[in-house]
Amino acid sequence: MNHGITRRELLSISAGNLALTRCSRMSGRRPQPRVSIVRAGYNQSIYDTVRRLLVEHRLDVRGRRVVIKPNLVEFDPGTTINTHPMVVHATLEGFRAMGAAEVRIAEGPGHRRVTMDLADAAGYFETIPHFEDLFIDLNLDDVSQVLLRDPFSRLHSIYLPNTALSADLLVSLPKMKTHHWVGATLSMKNFFGLVPGSVYGWPKNVLHWAGIDECIVDLHAAFPRHFAIVDGIVAMEGNGPIQGRPKPVGVLVAGKDMAAVDATCCRIMKINPASIRYLLLAVGPHQLDEANIGQIGETIPRVQTPFGLIEEWQNIRL
Amino acid sequence: MKNLQNRDGGWPYRKGGGSSAEPTVLALLAQSVEQADRESIERGLAWLRAAQRQDGGWAPQPQVSQSTWVTALVALMPRDSLGVSRHARAIDWLMGQTGREASLAYKLRNELLGEGGGVIGKHEGWPFFPGAAAWVTPSALSILALAKAQRYQMAGGIAQRIVVGQQFLMDRICQDGGWNYGRANVLGVEADSYPETTGQALLALHGVPPSKLEKPLVAAQAQASRCQSAEGLSWLQLGLQAHGIAAAGPVRVLAYRHIADTSLGILARAALRGRNLFLE
Repeated sequence: MNHGITRRELLSISAGNLALTRCSRMSGRRPQPRVSIVRAGYNQSIYDTVRRLLVEHRLDVRGRRVVIKPNLVEFDPGTTINTHPMVVHATLEGFRAMGAAEVRIAEGPGHRRVTMDLADAAGYFETIPHFEDLFIDLNLDDVSQVLLRDPFSRLHSIYLPNTALSADLLVSLPKMKTHHWVGATLSMKNFFGLVPGSVYGWPKNVLHWAGIDECIVDLHAAFPRHFAIVDGIVAMEGNGPIQGRPKPVGVLVAGKDMAAVDATCCRIMKINPASIRYLLLAVGPHQLDEANIGQIGETIPRVQTPFGLIEEWQNIRL
Repeated sequence: MKNLQNRDGGWPYRKGGGSSAEPTVLALLAQSVEQADRESIERGLAWLRAAQRQDGGWAPQPQVSQSTWVTALVALMPRDSLGVSRHARAIDWLMGQTGREASLAYKLRNELLGEGGGVIGKHEGWPFFPGAAAWVTPSALSILALAKAQRYQMAGGIAQRIVVGQQFLMDRICQDGGWNYGRANVLGVEADSYPETTGQALLALHGVPPSKLEKPLVAAQAQASRCQSAEGLSWLQLGLQAHGIAAAGPVRVLAYRHIADTSLGILARAALRGRNLFLE
């Protein structure tokens, strides 16, 4: 194996160090985030499981407008690529039971224009009553320009969908997957689906040129009122986020702090969270430390299982 | 369709939304093959004309202060209905767009990183958003708009740009014969093709000899027979019709859910009857 450093890696490391220097200046003390790990399956018990999760995190959504953002990527009748519809429905019902004034489901896939057909093929119409009335295609939503304060990416502003911008709580509901560009795609990366395709296209390539990791962090900062539930019941390993293999893990991972949720997911996947660049940029290494995250429910070692990684990402193994 | 038209004359992507360029163009094109409501069409055209930006392009919706890929769609409108001057400026804007990978700076960067070669940047296509890379959809739509404009012989270099654009598409045929949204191979893994992009690419390759498109035409027909979206099927039918093939859809009934896929369905059915508005 060649351990020599390439010019690309040299450039990348330099940029990363600069960003981390800035990150460490920015991040101050914050209360220890709490992250839940619960065992779950795609069956009726998931409704109780999700409701308990929401109660556990003391989310006050009474009279509020909640937008649930699943991960819909490709036509897949199985459960590997897209967030399972039962997880979405259970979350919808959970927030309704907690008194939310309105709960919508919204997504803007990165590659395919035919969002409703993707949702249909993924079983959303069948599982979620009145799905079509509840769903907003974020790729085709009306947009507003948002100025990015002190952005990490090269973007100074970005157009974002009004449905997401007007939410009192934005709930990231991704699939737990490996990702060929950023290592792992979890609750923070899921916010790429907030970027409107009608403006930026399919794929949302402007984000790639502006820096994928940096844009993930900027989007995370643009939506501070958020919560995350990661569908790791059947996850994806290998060449994710589309062409990977199913990886049964049997867990949901949830919390208010998306970086902490994603760091916990990484540990479950036996991936070093400090090697995921966007996590480092977002909160710095200290806050990714396992000791600084309060775990609730299952412990990591009890559910941990090594995810298959493509060659380019072998170095992120925990 | 008329019921969904906004008071300002444009059409939204979904009921209650603001007017946007893409659904407005598709609704207007569809209306021109259905029973036309002159008043509705005039209001739609007035909205489109008023939405043209100073640089000659169109933004996807009025809140966006940047001309983008939707300019190619607007330039598909008949020149006389859009206005000769407006149309010419739209074509000028399109002629000025290329994918970022075709820039000297990008090519130089690739040389420095030792990443030269491959199809990237070899032939110029069009981006969705200025400053980004070129992709199949905006390239196909731009080729179609330029092919229409070529009849008026407005700007020099149009024919050459069409040829290069078609080569851009030919470079990106997937192993399965169709088109993905971009490259056919990512990190050494072959990408699967999509119905929407396969249909759009075939439309834009109208006039290319069938001998060069044997595999894509077979792949597109196979996709049509198992297609899971009305929009995808419509693009496939439009693309295949451009090569003289009438494609049947799947056995299952596909749902038309918004203005864009409904309009495309109307345009595809018109193509099956022999009138392909993307090529007129």
